[in-house]
Amino acid sequence: MKYCVETFDLTKNYGDFAAVDTLKMKIKNKSIFGFLGPNGAGKTTTIKMLTCLALPTSGTATVAGQDILKNPNEVRQKIGMIPQMVSLYGDLTVKENVHLCGDFYGVHEDLRDSRADELMEMVDIKYAENKPVSQLSGGMKQKASVVASLIHQPEILFLDEPTIGLDPTTKRILWDMVEELNSEGRSIILCSHDMYEVELLCDDVGIINRGLLAAFNTPQGLKDTMITERKNEKISRSSNITKIVEEMQKEASPEENASLNSVKDYVEKKNRDSMELSVMISNLDDNLLTQLENLPITYKITKQHSGRIVIDMEDSEESVTKIISGIIENNGNITSISTKDPSLEDVFVRVTAKKEEVSDDNGGN
Amino acid sequence: MIMVETKKIKWMFKKDLMVLWRHKPRLISLILFPIIMITLFGYGMGGTLTNIPVVVVSQSSGPVTDATLNAIKGTNIYDVVNIINDPNKGKQMVMNGQVKAAIILPPNYDDMQSQSPKNVIIDADSSDQMASSALVPTSQALFSQISNQIGIQKLQAMGLSSSAAQSSQVQVQSETQSQVLSSPTPAASGINFQSIVNSINFQINKLYGNISYIDFLVPGVLAMVVLFSCMFGMGESIAGERERGELARLFMTPTSITTIVGGKIISKLTIETGRAVILIVVAIALFGIVIAGSMLLTLLLLVLVALCFVGFGIMISARVSTQEDYMQMVQPITLPMMFMSGVFYPVETMPWIFQKIAYLLPLTYANDALRAVMLKGAGIGAIWLDVVVLLGFTALFFALGVRSFNRDV
Repeated sequence: MKYCVETFDLTKNYGDFAAVDTLKMKIKNKSIFGFLGPNGAGKTTTIKMLTCLALPTSGTATVAGQDILKNPNEVRQKIGMIPQMVSLYGDLTVKENVHLCGDFYGVHEDLRDSRADELMEMVDIKYAENKPVSQLSGGMKQKASVVASLIHQPEILFLDEPTIGLDPTTKRILWDMVEELNSEGRSIILCSHDMYEVELLCDDVGIINRGLLAAFNTPQGLKDTMITERKNEKISRSSNITKIVEEMQKEASPEENASLNSVKDYVEKKNRDSMELSVMISNLDDNLLTQLENLPITYKITKQHSGRIVIDMEDSEESVTKIISGIIENNGNITSISTKDPSLEDVFVRVTAKKEEVSDDNGGN
Repeated sequence: MIMVETKKIKWMFKKDLMVLWRHKPRLISLILFPIIMITLFGYGMGGTLTNIPVVVVSQSSGPVTDATLNAIKGTNIYDVVNIINDPNKGKQMVMNGQVKAAIILPPNYDDMQSQSPKNVIIDADSSDQMASSALVPTSQALFSQISNQIGIQKLQAMGLSSSAAQSSQVQVQSETQSQVLSSPTPAASGINFQSIVNSINFQINKLYGNISYIDFLVPGVLAMVVLFSCMFGMGESIAGERERGELARLFMTPTSITTIVGGKIISKLTIETGRAVILIVVAIALFGIVIAGSMLLTLLLLVLVALCFVGFGIMISARVSTQEDYMQMVQPITLPMMFMSGVFYPVETMPWIFQKIAYLLPLTYANDALRAVMLKGAGIGAIWLDVVVLLGFTALFFALGVRSFNRDV
């Protein structure tokens, strides 16, 4: 497996504060990698070190096969970056900015001009090539920044919050562009707080928290891990309470035992392996609701607006079928149905809420 | 490789000029700032005070009074607002702020027979230190002349006269005013009356001509304007670009800090040289400054001063992340430097501690060298030490600046 980025105990300290703490991470070549983390988690500092805009305190990394400490200029030649803050000269036109960048990357003049035209056509900004950047909209500025960052045909493209503040249409144009660049064989490293964007685009996701790599997997892998963790937590919680109740029953009277049995049943039911199903029924009425509540697999039903109900039920292979059959048998009309899996945002919140986490050498494989 | 780096430096220069050209307020400020500075300092601080409003209280009449009034009117430091005869009213006019002084001639002013002294009183508005400090010595000199001539007239009235006395009278008149008292009745008697009237002859030889305060001030102001332009300019050029993220774009490319700093220096230096030329032209056009030494050497010195302060700016901006931080760091350095390096007053007249500090400031050496060339007509041989010190400061600033230059964005 080839990696576009590999970090080896990468560390950056600001005084006593470790912004990035012995980070070990491997990012697959030619993939789109989503780098997530709350504000101040060390995400931007990591990107700065990987793009040779900050020196690590200790450790190192290879980017596009080059060591960031030993060969920073080779690294710079092989990467492009679209920073969070647009860093084109506002008083220069788009074309002048792109040409300036081309010359700073040492691109031959003829090649520079033809590439600039090609890239500007690609991101649909050619018509504004002679406008000063300061006069462009946010989306146009980002497009111009993309062109300037790609003029030297980098192997790896770093994008730091590329769609922040952009309208939905421009966001989609940029997402399409990212996918196109990736399909051309470029590795993309995307820092974002937009979970939808990350879920949509990224092959792998790394979550950094307090300078440590807290999670690394595919988006689905992270969600599956969360489902498993939740199940295990419930089982563990249930088992602990059951043990306590059973201990109490040893010394309890028959009347007390009966009460403790109902507590045990409640806890076991509450912590049983469950799943949530969201169903929309156009002709939902109280009778149908009661019929569904009486099904043995149903734990709880929450009624929402416009005929939508969320059913907390037993997590088994037949559960969904049994619910659907129950609705149809009672003449209910299903207009939509979906299981309620945790989102990437749920994963993010769960991972970053943990206070202590040990960085694993789990990168990219 | 060299070609590529040269191309980058050219781009930075070209970019700065393009930005300047398109950013019209910045361009206007760039040109106007030195003109405003030199005009303000030149007119505000460099000129001699003239036309100070005064009132004359004349309580007598006669040829001496008339001649005195004519002498006062003919002296350009005074602007005679009115001639009145009530001393109290004159004093009141001073206190009301209508005039800066009341010149009160006594009632017996025209009495040539009287042996008692004639007390001329000047009620001056001493709250205006500038005006009163200009009025007092001028008035003293004027009445001293008049007094001498009255003495001569008395001697003549006694039948004694000499060509020497007349000669003395003419000499005095050419110094101040020619219409004071003109009653030449030469009659040689063999007595040197000049020695009676003026017992001391005083001669001043101005080795570098008649240099006024503005002449003294202009070289210092030139160096100071270059200081401010470079220091503030580097704030925009490096700290400002760093803050806006523009410098990050350059740092992301395979370009060395030396190339980036070099590009900034060349760009800034070219612009500052242009401004130095404007400064000199404005100083010559507005204040009639005569550069006694070589114009080329003056210009080269200004370029060296610019280089030195560009280096200083780079050194300061190497570590700061915003333009505001840069300004906060630069202001406590530039303002004391302006006052302690002899721009306005000679370093030798300052308290000893300031003198010691002054010799640690590059602006002191810049002022010294520029004054030597512009006022004394000195050549490189006479200012080599200043030049060496300035070069040393420049090398130190660049070395520290490049060494501590922060690539962090």
